Amino acid sequence: MGLLYRTWFGLTGWIVGVVLWLFILQGQVLWWQPAALWALFMVLWLITRQLGADSGALPFTAVLVFCGWVFLARLDPALAQGHFYGAMLGAVLYLFGLLVPAIRFPFTRLWAWAALGLLAVTAIWGESAGGARAWLSVGSLRFQPVELAKIFLMFYLGRQLSREQAPWERLFFLTCFCLLAAWQRDLGPAVLVFAVFGWLSLWHSFSWYKLLGWAAAAAGGFCGAVGLFSHVQNRVLAWLKPWDYLDSKGYQVLQGLFALRAGGLVGQGLGQGLVRVIPHGHTDYIFAVLGEEFGFLGVCALLLCYLSLAFWALRILDGLDQERQLVGLGLTLLLHGQVVLVVGGILRLLPFTGMTLPFVSFGSTSLAAQFWMLGTIAGWSRGGGEA
Amino acid sequence: MRRSFLVLALFYGMMLVSAFYWQLCADLASHPANPRYYLAFQKERGAIFDGQGRPLAFSTAVEGGYARHYAAPSLSHVVGYFHERYGMTGLELLYHAELSSGRSVFTTLDLELQKAAEDLLSGSQGAVVVLRPDTGQVLALVSLPCVDGGALDENWPDYLGDVRSPFLNRATHGLYPPGSVVKPLVYAAAAAEGALEPGSTWFDGGVLELPGGTMGNFGGRAHGEISLDEALAKSSNVVFGKVAVVLGERLLEYFRLFGLGQMVPLELSNKEGYVPDAIASQYHAAQLGIGQAELLVTPLQMAQAAAALANGGVLMRPYLVQEIRGGLRMRQITRPQVLGRILPPEAAEQVKRAMALAAQEGTAKTDLSTELEYAGKTGTAQMGSVPDHAWFIGFAPVDAPQVAVAVLVEHGGMGAEAAAPLGAEIMRKALQLSE
Repeated sequence: MGLLYRTWFGLTGWIVGVVLWLFILQGQVLWWQPAALWALFMVLWLITRQLGADSGALPFTAVLVFCGWVFLARLDPALAQGHFYGAMLGAVLYLFGLLVPAIRFPFTRLWAWAALGLLAVTAIWGESAGGARAWLSVGSLRFQPVELAKIFLMFYLGRQLSREQAPWERLFFLTCFCLLAAWQRDLGPAVLVFAVFGWLSLWHSFSWYKLLGWAAAAAGGFCGAVGLFSHVQNRVLAWLKPWDYLDSKGYQVLQGLFALRAGGLVGQGLGQGLVRVIPHGHTDYIFAVLGEEFGFLGVCALLLCYLSLAFWALRILDGLDQERQLVGLGLTLLLHGQVVLVVGGILRLLPFTGMTLPFVSFGSTSLAAQFWMLGTIAGWSRGGGEA
Repeated sequence: MRRSFLVLALFYGMMLVSAFYWQLCADLASHPANPRYYLAFQKERGAIFDGQGRPLAFSTAVEGGYARHYAAPSLSHVVGYFHERYGMTGLELLYHAELSSGRSVFTTLDLELQKAAEDLLSGSQGAVVVLRPDTGQVLALVSLPCVDGGALDENWPDYLGDVRSPFLNRATHGLYPPGSVVKPLVYAAAAAEGALEPGSTWFDGGVLELPGGTMGNFGGRAHGEISLDEALAKSSNVVFGKVAVVLGERLLEYFRLFGLGQMVPLELSNKEGYVPDAIASQYHAAQLGIGQAELLVTPLQMAQAAAALANGGVLMRPYLVQEIRGGLRMRQITRPQVLGRILPPEAAEQVKRAMALAAQEGTAKTDLSTELEYAGKTGTAQMGSVPDHAWFIGFAPVDAPQVAVAVLVEHGGMGAEAAAPLGAEIMRKALQLSE
C-alpha cells in the first residue's frame, strides 16, 4: 500500500507533468511561463520535502495548473499570463499555509466576521461581471473576496463544530454568509458553503432528524432562490429543458454539450476545437473546452487528478485531531464540491452554478485561495502539525 | 474520512459516466443548433464516383468556400444533394461523416446509363431501377420529376410549388399497385409449390366467376385452353386468377419471399409497400394474383424481384455503395450479399422461359424483340377514374442475365405501349455499356 501510494503520488504525477510540460514547450512562443511554473513547482516540492511534509499533492496540482495554462494560452495568451501570476501568488499562499498554523489563531469568531466583512465590502463597493457583483478593485488589482471568505468561514465553522457548543451561532453565520452572497447575486459560493457545512455537520454526528433538517433547509433555500431570482429560474430551465431555449437560456448548456460530443474518445486535438462559441470558455466552461480538445480520455485524466487530490487530503486528515479533521474536511470539500458543482452542471447532472474549475479556470483569486487550502493541509502532515 | 472519500469517489464516478454518455453516445453531432454542423460547408468535401470512376458529385473552390456540383439532375434522388441552406439528402447525408473528412465514395451506378434512363423517361412522371441480378449492384435509379442538386438556389421556390412533387423519390417511396407485373411472381410460386404438372393447360373463358365477385381479361378476350407460359405471354387475368385461388395463402408467402411488403435493405430508405396478412375470399385471391386488390409495391421492389427471377431464384441485396476510399481506414469494400434462395432453380428457369416468350410474341414484345434477347412482363395497374399506371419488368440476355430492370410510368396507360419500349431500350443500352 505504501509503495503504491509513493509511486502514484511521487512518480506518476511528475511523469504526466513532464510530458505535459514538454507538450506545452513545443512550438510555444510563451516558453518562459511554463518553464517558470515548472521551476516554481519544483521549489515548492523541495521546500515541502525539507519541512518533512507530504508533497504528494504537488504533482497533480502541477498537472491541473499546466492544463489550465495550456487552454488559456490557446484561447488568449493574455489570460495565460494572468493564470501564471495567479499561480505565483498561489505559491506564496501555499507556503503561508504550510508554515503559518492559522488554525491556532485564538479568536475563532473573528474568522466568521472577516468572511462576512469581505462579503459586505464587496456588496457595497464591488463591481459586477457576469450578473454577479463579486469583484473588488484595490488600485489596479481586481480580486474576488468571496474566494477567501469561503475559507475564512470554513475555519470558523470547523472549529466551532468541534467544540460542541452554541449550534445557533454557527447557523447564524452560515445564514448570514448565504444571504450576503445571494444579495450579490452570486449563489455558487452560497450553495457550496451550505452543502459543505451540511456534510461536515452530518459527518461529525449523524442523525436522521439532522439529515431531514438539512434536506428541508436545502429544499426551502432552493425554492426561495427560484422564487426570488430570475437568473436562478433561467439556470433551472436551462438545466431541465435546454432544447426549448436553444438560443437564449439554454445556449451555454447546449454549446457545452455540443463541444463535449465533438470531443468523442480522444478529442479534436489542442487548438482544433470550435471553442469560441462557448460563453465563459476560459472560466466556468473550461471543462467543455478540455472535453472537446482532449476527449473522454482527457476528462478521465482530469477527474482522476482531482480524485487523487481528495485521496491525498483525506489520508492526511485521517490521523489528526477532530478540530483539524473538521476544518480540513471542510476545506477539501470546498475544493471538490466546486468541481462537482461545475462539472456536474456542465454535464447536466445539476443546474449550472457559475464557478471556476479549481486550478484550471482563469481567476487568480480562486487559484491563489485553492493553493492556500492545499498548503494548510500539507502543513498538518508534518508530525501532527506542530509547526 | 474513508466514508467521505467514498462519497466523493461516487460523485466523480457519476461525472465519468455522464461524460461518457455526452461525449460518446449522445446524438448531437448533426443537431441544427450545433455550429460544428455548418463547418462542413466551408471545407473541401470528398467526391462521389460511379462504377467507372466518373465523378457524380464533386466540390470546387469558390469565393468563401466550396460549391458542390452534380453530373446529372436525376442523381438528386440517389446521390442526394448537399447545400448549406437546404441541408443534405441521399448518399450525401448517409456518408456525410466520411465525405466531410475528405474520403471518396465509389458507387455502383453507371453515369451513362443513368443519363440514358433519365432521357428516356423525361417528359413523364415515373421511375426506372436497373440492377445487376448476380450481384445486386444498382446500375441506375431514376425518378422523375426531380430537383437539380446543383441548382437549388435558383429553383427552390419552383420546386416547392411544383404539384408533381419533385422531392418524392418514386423509385423508393412511390407506392403503386403492381398490376400484371406480379404475374411472374405468381407463376414462380405455382412452379415452386409443384402446383403445375408438366404439359398441363388451363381454360380461359374470358371471364372468371368466383364467390365474392367476377373478373375478366383485358378487353374481354377469351384465350381458350392454354399453357401457363402462354397465359403469361398473353397476360391472362382468368388463368392467373385461377392459379392464385389454387395457391391461396401460400401466394402471400411468396410475395413476401420476393421482398414485397418489406423494406429493401438498400442504403437509401424506402417504403415497405403493402401485402395483406390474409386472404378473405377466392375473389380476393384472384385479384391479388393479377396484382390488384390492396397490393402496393415500389419500383425498387419490383426490380429486386425481377433480378431474383433472372438470378435463378437467388435474391441478392441491392446496394449502391461499392467502396469508400481515403483516410485512415484506407478502403472499405462492399461484397455482394445473398438475401435468400427463394425458388428452386427449375422454377426460376420456367418463369424465365415464359417471360422470354412474352417478350418474343406476347404483350412485352417491342421493336427491339428481334435484336435483343430479353425476357419481360408488362403491367397496367388499373386506377379506376384516373389513367392507369404503365409497368414493365424484365432482364436480358435471357440465358445469362446481366441486367434487370423495372420501369414505372405514372398514368402512362398501357404497359405494353408506355413502359415496355422504355425497358427494352434501357436494357439494350446497359448491355452496350457493359461490353
